[in-house]
Amino acid sequence: MTDCGCDKAKAELEEFLHRELSEQDLQDIQEHLDGCEDCSTEHLVGLTLSQKVQRACQEKAPDELRASILASLDRAGSASR
Amino acid sequence: MLVLDATTAPESVMLGGIDSWPMVDTPRTEPTPDELRGLFAEQAIPFMDQLYAAAMRMTRNPADAGDLVQETYTKAFAAFKGFEQGTNLKAWLYRILTNTYINSYRKNQRSPYQGTIDELEDWQLGSAESLTQGRTTRSAEAEAIDHLPDSDVKEALQSIPEDFRLAVYLADVEGFAYQEIADIMKTPVGTVMSRLHRGRRLLRERLADYARERGYIAADTSTGSKK
Repeated sequence: MTDCGCDKAKAELEEFLHRELSEQDLQDIQEHLDGCEDCSTEHLVGLTLSQKVQRACQEKAPDELRASILASLDRAGSASR
Repeated sequence: MLVLDATTAPESVMLGGIDSWPMVDTPRTEPTPDELRGLFAEQAIPFMDQLYAAAMRMTRNPADAGDLVQETYTKAFAAFKGFEQGTNLKAWLYRILTNTYINSYRKNQRSPYQGTIDELEDWQLGSAESLTQGRTTRSAEAEAIDHLPDSDVKEALQSIPEDFRLAVYLADVEGFAYQEIADIMKTPVGTVMSRLHRGRRLLRERLADYARERGYIAADTSTGSKK
């Protein structure tokens, strides 16, 4: 098992995750992942990392900030009239 | 598509554009300030939560993040006349946010290795190449990451070098394409890829540390973990 596609898959997992590959490459790697548990668990870690960071970083702008920005927009409007 | 920038629009396009605008008393070649303000409120204001979240990761505190977002909107509104409708507004706003941050805020808290971080060798960043080996431990790693509290994730993100953090944030949280990140960070795509790769590796390493501290994964798996 020297060339089972793992080297190529592992090298491109991050680009695969971010959909930064050609359709053909995406498909090749997907096919490899479907049949390779080693690479698919590696991909799972990368995917989990992405999703985790995404969820952890959600914020809501404070109400005062929102009000203040909308107020400056209003002021910009009345100033131009 | 509405052509809002009258200075670059050929006359024929402008005439076509005028036809599609609401009827007004006097002919004109660009939207009124009121129309621009309406478009801005409708298109740019909805990104406020996202911009604030990014600003929080950049400045690390709510007061500075608020100021940064306010300044970003002020600049964006002033420049909005030149924004080409139909192009990516979110990326445009993030460019302004990032520029503003770098010019006004980063100066004050410049880290000693800023500017040379891309030249560090991988070994200097710690070898996170294979934190866990094999299927079982890797599944356990994924599960452990998934169970970590959000505060650990934010702390881990905060601990990695800024340019790496920004690349990871723009790709993984905001889902920008590599080329868009390159435009926002004003670096070649290759640099984006390298920052992203290194940033994610460091992040993974920090999160594995947290998971070990919390007992989510075994402290020593005798698999060549670096510690």
